[in-house]
Amino acid sequence: MAAPCLGMVVRSMWQFRNINRTSTTLLKGIRHFSSSGECSCAVKLKYETHKPASQWKLYGAVCLQRLPVVSQDPNPIEQKFVDIMQQMELERSRLSDHELRLLEDAERMSRKQEEDYDSDDEDLVNQEIVTAQDDEDAWEQKLKRFQPTGRANGAAGEDPSSLDRCLSDSLVLLVQQEVGKEKVWLLPQLQWTTGETLRQTAERALASLPGTDLKARFLGNSPCGVYKFKFPKGVQTESCVGAKVFFFKALLSSGTNPTSEKGAFVWVKKSELKGYLKPDYLRQADRFILGL
Amino acid sequence: MSTSITRVVSTLLSGQNATPCAITSVRCNHWFASVLSLKSSPPLRAEPKKKKKVDPRREIMARERLKKKLKKLERVPPEFIPIEDFITPAKCFDEMRVRSEPRLAFEESERRALLLKEWSRYKHAQHQAEMAAINGAVEAQRQALEELRLESKELYQAALAPDMGLLPFTHQGPSYTPPIQNYEAPEGKYNNITKVYTQ
Repeated sequence: MAAPCLGMVVRSMWQFRNINRTSTTLLKGIRHFSSSGECSCAVKLKYETHKPASQWKLYGAVCLQRLPVVSQDPNPIEQKFVDIMQQMELERSRLSDHELRLLEDAERMSRKQEEDYDSDDEDLVNQEIVTAQDDEDAWEQKLKRFQPTGRANGAAGEDPSSLDRCLSDSLVLLVQQEVGKEKVWLLPQLQWTTGETLRQTAERALASLPGTDLKARFLGNSPCGVYKFKFPKGVQTESCVGAKVFFFKALLSSGTNPTSEKGAFVWVKKSELKGYLKPDYLRQADRFILGL
Repeated sequence: MSTSITRVVSTLLSGQNATPCAITSVRCNHWFASVLSLKSSPPLRAEPKKKKKVDPRREIMARERLKKKLKKLERVPPEFIPIEDFITPAKCFDEMRVRSEPRLAFEESERRALLLKEWSRYKHAQHQAEMAAINGAVEAQRQALEELRLESKELYQAALAPDMGLLPFTHQGPSYTPPIQNYEAPEGKYNNITKVYTQ
């Protein structure tokens, strides 16, 4: 919520500056646009001639999350608190109609047991044949006839690529991709090509996963995180020093798992990310993957 | 009226040639105080008095004032729709329903007080953790936008553009048990007895 507002404010500030400044200066390799800088760029995609060659390759990545399907089990302290609150509320409450009925029936039964019981004294008009206790038993029987699905919660040893594991946590999709010469676990990413926005790159990255039909809802146009890394000395050239990966958040709305390759992707909880991601990458990814 | 006057005046003036009935009528009638004071005849005086032109207007104004008073009385402000939740039903004040209060042991009340304090500490820690996580995420996004700004203007502007398809955003939250595959819910008929108020 705060980010789009910030974005709107920043954008309006930029437009204000564009109106004020009339001179356009060439950007001679200056990449730090400080707030007091004297450049004003037209906000058009055509204005590319004066841009310096960027030294970083751009990648768009998607952080696809499956939100929890089932509520979490309470902690021990939460369980204790719930019990105590129910106890206290029960003590402070009034008797309900059903409870009054139960009490009356119990009283009537005890009166019947007495030796000097006279059935004429009873108010026969108001009596019911079905007692409250019978009602309760009938209701319990009816409840037992309905079988809900069990709350399976990610027992160890489960298939990490199934979507139905850990129903009470949010899961993130990780894929194994080739970076440099090694296979690395990371969030699905693709290189950015000119003429598209980074969000479109991320959407392409999601769609290009082999054999999937995962429908996702992207949350906004702005990236939620960035991972910057320099290539090793041997790979670095004049034009590119390293790469920047921009992450975009998306929520899984529907879809099935890819059926072609079993080992290439994985749905993990936040606590399991450590086992898959590299330390630097993990440090950046941990910030925007909320474990709430 | 003018003819009788002229007739009487002519008798007075001529004296001799006046018809005997006219003279006798003038002199014998006791309505006339003096012959000269002829202003009206009996049939004339029995006529109702002529209304002045102001009176119809006065009557109309009186009627309008009455109508305005009626309208003011009728202009009752609409009754407020009662909020059902704020009205305690009379059933709850029945004395028969009061539960017998159990006496709490000292240990029990101590345990409850200590648990409540522990709960407040737990909730405070949870809130701090949530706030820290959210602030961390916002900071990460800010840094990402910084990096993007250093990269290219167009992409930065495209990132700042608001996403029109995002709102209104709806999501079905977690339930206690996961949904049953291919479940057919039983058809339930019900009679809706909620009271609908109209103003």
